[in-house]
Amino acid sequence: MANQKSKPAKDQGTSYSRRTFLQATAASVALPYLIPASAMGKDGNTAPSNRIVMAGIGLGNMGGGDLESFLGRGDVQYVAVCDVKRDVRDGRMNHVNEKYGNKDCKAYNDFREVLARGDIDAVHCATPDHWHALVVIEACRNGKDIFCQKPETRTLREGRLMINAARRYSRVVSGGSQRVLEDYRKTVDACWGGSKGIVKSINVNVGPLPTDCNKAGEPVPDGFDWDRWLGPAPWAPYHPHRCSGSYNIDGTSWRSFKDYSGGGLTDWGAHHFGGATFALDVRELEPEEVLFHNENGKKYATCRYPNGKLLHHNCPGRGNLDVEGTSEQGPSKPVPGYAGTGGIDGDFIDCVKTRNKPFRDIELAVHTATVCHLFLIAYELERSLKWDTVKQQFVNDDEANRLVDVARREPWVL
Amino acid sequence: MTSKEMTTMTLASGVAAGAATQAVAQTDSAAVDNAFNTLKTYDWGADRAALNPIDQAIIASHGDAVARKALEKRLVGALAGGLSRSAQDYVCRKLRVVGTAQSVETLAALLPAEQTSHIARYALQRIPDEKATEAMRNALPKVSSKLKPGIIGSLGVRRDNKSIEAIAQLLGDSDLQVAQAAAQALGLIGTPTAAKELSKFAKSVSANMKVPVADACLICAEQLLADGKKSEATALYGQLKGDDQPAHVKVAAMKGMLAAATKK
Repeated sequence: MANQKSKPAKDQGTSYSRRTFLQATAASVALPYLIPASAMGKDGNTAPSNRIVMAGIGLGNMGGGDLESFLGRGDVQYVAVCDVKRDVRDGRMNHVNEKYGNKDCKAYNDFREVLARGDIDAVHCATPDHWHALVVIEACRNGKDIFCQKPETRTLREGRLMINAARRYSRVVSGGSQRVLEDYRKTVDACWGGSKGIVKSINVNVGPLPTDCNKAGEPVPDGFDWDRWLGPAPWAPYHPHRCSGSYNIDGTSWRSFKDYSGGGLTDWGAHHFGGATFALDVRELEPEEVLFHNENGKKYATCRYPNGKLLHHNCPGRGNLDVEGTSEQGPSKPVPGYAGTGGIDGDFIDCVKTRNKPFRDIELAVHTATVCHLFLIAYELERSLKWDTVKQQFVNDDEANRLVDVARREPWVL
Repeated sequence: MTSKEMTTMTLASGVAAGAATQAVAQTDSAAVDNAFNTLKTYDWGADRAALNPIDQAIIASHGDAVARKALEKRLVGALAGGLSRSAQDYVCRKLRVVGTAQSVETLAALLPAEQTSHIARYALQRIPDEKATEAMRNALPKVSSKLKPGIIGSLGVRRDNKSIEAIAQLLGDSDLQVAQAAAQALGLIGTPTAAKELSKFAKSVSANMKVPVADACLICAEQLLADGKKSEATALYGQLKGDDQPAHVKVAAMKGMLAAATKK
């Protein structure tokens, strides 16, 4: 829950560009078109016909938790589950049907079939990271709002595509790190409250970097659509460690491997850097430079923002979320927080109803993911890089620009 | 390692010793040789760390055109010589970073095969040389329907104007994934010619192509507007504001028209 100083994301002091203003104007003019009929109910005893009709895509560990959260809400009617593992999707479907005492929830292997359903208002997505952009963009173009787990992107290019899709179709798209607001609140309050003076830099200690996976093949378990799990990633033989949804990042889960994740740097980085950029008050910006350091074999990096603020990664001698500020009292301003009730999931549902931007609006979430990817590329190339935030390209570095995106395995295209 | 070995850095036979810069020379040439030997028998389950010297040589050769070219030549040679799927995968990932026109022919040869088409594009799509585009353009009519969406997608990302006609012909393909990829690619290419093809097709679009074509038209219109082609963008937006479109598409089209009307 947000504290008393919190205010909804819609009231944040954002400076609107002319383009943003025009978009907002057009959206408000067309408001009757944008609110799903089922979003008009009140909190509390919401009639089924007035609930937000939801589905879940990717329902393993995190997806199962998200499902429980949305399923427990009185203003949500859960109607579809989708997972490439038959036992997972059937288990989730049965669970939902038991909860409602009916057989209305359907199970799917192909997320596109879920998103094509006209009766669904919103979905949540907790697939492995390499699927996020495809699912989010497909949701937007089918007119669905979507809550997407973090880290939201696998490549730099995906981020802008996801933001564009959300804005194009006036969708509510929320990223998924609840820790940004909840775990680092003391640090954020200190920085926004002025007790850290003028905040100059914050350090984040997080890892490890992702690795390539060359594990030998094993028989694909019955009921597991392996080709669909791989999706846009390069083909590879099945191995349980390659696709395990375990939270370990030690070579025994997909979170460890480059094709599906950015390793700990993006998986936990989405939380830590999200909190750090919040505290540093640069959530609405992207860095314009990433500086690679190699001091006697100790490698670390720093992102520099257009306003001069610095975000360090693994800086020697500094702790996690360690703030460097000035000694005088700094300016103070209210800290934004969630709307509605029920944490980050409740914030999303509230925004589906009100059409406000969620606390973890996709643009802010992508900015955090962008930080992670800039660090990853600097470490991969072992050099400093300049980032053009408008062109979404590295400056005068064709080699780094090749790493901005990947070619996707057919038939998946972005 | 001897100092002579340090300075010669035999990334490829025939490379003059003096050509390598100090940075490249610091890479252990024997280790690189061993890694290339390992590559010949490398397969799923092998220790990935055995190839790390090649990774390090790539990093070290940044800014050294001669050494980089030699390294690329050696990677291409390995790929052409016949490797396991896992080793092909590794080499193509490296060529994504260091590949140039000299890699294209070998990579292009992998495009028609189901097992290698994607990993060849993994390199080709990111090589900033017209020859890479040309190779994918030439492969498009020759590959199976299963592989076409990938090649179409790569040509779209590269905004290949010369592919418009061929891609447009696939809008009506009986394979829905080919047709959808074609629509998306035309949207990304985003030129007036691409817009005309999308506009023409949108007038008689089937139900299962409605969403992809509308999306492609909107993306195309955004690109046209960004390129200052207001009238073409407005025309495309105008086609999407009818009652035959879902509400979120109509709103997107109206927003686009408003943006076009007020753009200076």
